[in-house]
Amino acid sequence: MVTAESEFGPVLIEADAITKSFGGAVAVDNVSISVRAGEIYGLVGENGAGKSTLMRVLAGILSPDQGEVRVDGKPVQPGARAAISAGISLVHQELSLVPEMTVAENILLGSFPTKVGFTEYRKLRQIAADALAEIGVGVDLDERVGRLSVALRQFVEIARAVAKKPRILIFDEPTATLTPAETDYLLAMLRRLADGGMAIIYISHRIPEIFSTCSTVAILRDGKLVRSSSIDSLTPSQVVDQMVGRELGLDLATKRTATPGAVVLDAQGITAPKVNNVSVQVRSGEIVGLGGLVGAGRSELVRAIIGADDRTAGSVTLTHNGETITIGSYQSAVRNGVAYVPEERRIDGLALSMSVEDNIRLPNRKELSVAGFKVGSKTAQVAQLLADKVGLRPPEIRRDVGEYSGGNQQKVVLAKWLGRRPKFIVLDEPTRGVDVGAKAEIHRLVKEIADQGTAVLIVSSDLPELLELSDTIHVMRDGHVTGTLSKEEASEKSVMSLASGETIVRSS
Amino acid sequence: MTTKGTNAETTMTEVGATQKSSIGVAEILAWSSRNGVFVFTALLIIAALVFVDGFASLINVTDVFHRAAPVGIVAVGMTFVVISGNYLDLSVVAQVATAGVILIAVSNTHGIFIAMVAALMAAILFALVNGIAVGVFKANAVIVTLATTFIGLGVLRYFSGGSIFFGPPDGIIKAFGMGKVGPIPYSAIVLLVMTILLSILLNRTNFGFLIRSFGVNESATRLGGSNTALIVFGAFLVTAIAAMVAGFVLAAFSNTAVSNDGVGYDFRALAAIIVGGTSVFGGRGSVFRTLLGVIFVSVLTNILVLSGISFGYQQIALGALIVFAVSLDAIGRKVAR
Repeated sequence: MVTAESEFGPVLIEADAITKSFGGAVAVDNVSISVRAGEIYGLVGENGAGKSTLMRVLAGILSPDQGEVRVDGKPVQPGARAAISAGISLVHQELSLVPEMTVAENILLGSFPTKVGFTEYRKLRQIAADALAEIGVGVDLDERVGRLSVALRQFVEIARAVAKKPRILIFDEPTATLTPAETDYLLAMLRRLADGGMAIIYISHRIPEIFSTCSTVAILRDGKLVRSSSIDSLTPSQVVDQMVGRELGLDLATKRTATPGAVVLDAQGITAPKVNNVSVQVRSGEIVGLGGLVGAGRSELVRAIIGADDRTAGSVTLTHNGETITIGSYQSAVRNGVAYVPEERRIDGLALSMSVEDNIRLPNRKELSVAGFKVGSKTAQVAQLLADKVGLRPPEIRRDVGEYSGGNQQKVVLAKWLGRRPKFIVLDEPTRGVDVGAKAEIHRLVKEIADQGTAVLIVSSDLPELLELSDTIHVMRDGHVTGTLSKEEASEKSVMSLASGETIVRSS
Repeated sequence: MTTKGTNAETTMTEVGATQKSSIGVAEILAWSSRNGVFVFTALLIIAALVFVDGFASLINVTDVFHRAAPVGIVAVGMTFVVISGNYLDLSVVAQVATAGVILIAVSNTHGIFIAMVAALMAAILFALVNGIAVGVFKANAVIVTLATTFIGLGVLRYFSGGSIFFGPPDGIIKAFGMGKVGPIPYSAIVLLVMTILLSILLNRTNFGFLIRSFGVNESATRLGGSNTALIVFGAFLVTAIAAMVAGFVLAAFSNTAVSNDGVGYDFRALAAIIVGGTSVFGGRGSVFRTLLGVIFVSVLTNILVLSGISFGYQQIALGALIVFAVSLDAIGRKVAR
């Protein structure tokens, strides 16, 4: 869509030199943007580039360390309520609806109209109906949100933002879980809202969407604004290159060349909630990647394979040195050499208030004890060895894991499993929320693990990572594998088109 | 960003930040919740020695330990359930009484060995029901053990008819109840031995480690490849065996047993555990701390008794102490974040 700048109204919202850090790590570094009325402003960047942090600053959820947010040239007071009354509304990336409540109640959540303390249900339904009408979505006001599809919930989330009568509407990756038809619907809705005079900030990983919808694009990398310009002055591949900071495709030097051995993991016909009859094989020394959009069923698949969640159908075998074992329960999987680095490391992977040593001890306790009694010297020695091997910094095994940064915490998760010399390891989003340095080290470790003959299955929403590490990529959508790509066939384009089910034509 | 340097710096600042944070009221309270029991117990004993007539006699001190032993034994055992993050085991009320009644009643007819085996079976049964409901079905421990208290007492009253059982006047049970090594009663020795054994179990074995790990993070412990239902059952089994031993010791005191012998043991054991600084949120605590908590609560009660303060006021003091201690625990947890 080509639009002349003069079409737009005055600048509605400005972020002026925003800086925000978390515990020493700079998430947003001196970023300034401004958005006009009627404009759709695209914001792109890799995971961890600072997009969500910047948007949360704009919405008043986070207060910036430096800089200020202005609406109509006037500074916005800190706090989410002040941001809302200034006309800023954020559609959250993660759904924050209450499943047990109705559509109408969710739309007005936190701002129920009341009269002397009693909820005015008629007015509530009216406001909710108006909001849904404004975005052109028909859904029963009295239906419980828990019974809606993921896509409809996303639209209820948008209605919730629209019900606050915003002048500036921020979308944080709204299409991540939508089908192509739903996405088209949403993008049309965006244009309609912008034509009505709203300023819209639109975050997406999907470059084609940005080019079809936005008039301006801003590129964030490592917390810094790399470029902000009219969409017409850029090509999609330039945008991707600037997001990543290196030329894609010229990165073959770091790819592995080891030849995979015999099949170690053989999962056939796996069926579980959100997973429909998927088969996966992983060879010794091979890294198999699982690509797809959030909600495609990848985490559910790997958890069903290793028995961490129940599967309704399918069989899994593990073969090592010619011996084949059937994997049933998760415990038997771990006993037989399966390791699992979960997506939510702080919830599922680590005991944060315990020491590095204790966390490493957990899966290795039997080898580090005699007749059930801990052998202290051996435990400390092994823990120290593993902490050094993964490059934990500082390598102090008596320290609580919770005191370490995200990257170092992930290294502890790897360390505890490396001690078992796993035959098959599953890594689910291994570098999410990890800084760039630790990310490179984790990649190096993953390659090392594979080179030693371990079969590796990796789930990643970080496309460059998936492409760099994987020898083979299965792409999933709606619980199915929609395609399998060899290392040569795999590209951001081929993965994304299989993941979203649409053919992406990239202009050059 | 230069990769390695930045990463190391980030870690150092994060680690440093937790150490150099300024000391405020909340931090002092948090420290008190962890270590206060050491200071308070010492202060209380000093105060008692100086101000309370009759405290500093050998007879009084051995009597304090003698009386404290049954509750103390329950408390050191129940510490396992608390550290595992399952709050407490209310059914110790029924377990203590069941063990006592079985010991006296069955040894009268079948001898003491059969009686002890039967009591052990009953303890395992309690642990099985609690462990399956809480560990396998993930039911709330407070409600489950409240219910098993009812079931246990109901069964006990059905078979005993609520009557008091008397042991033989010159049997081994009575001899144990009256026995002493020098000035120290057997009951106090049992408490000490139980504390040492359970301390070793908690701190030196894989089982104890899993109890602590489960208390900190259930999901990570499961995904570390351990059977969490067995861990929960284990915690209830340790508690049940301790409650059985406490039931034996209590029955031996008077050579009698009755179905309401364990009344109040749930709350008094929990008081000792919490005052000792074991967190009701799970993961943090020790058996030795519980012993200190037992001593603190017992000395406090003894002081109140010696000072002629009535039972009602003693109850108020104990209740207030628990509100104070659990609030400290909650504050300490908040500050630690």
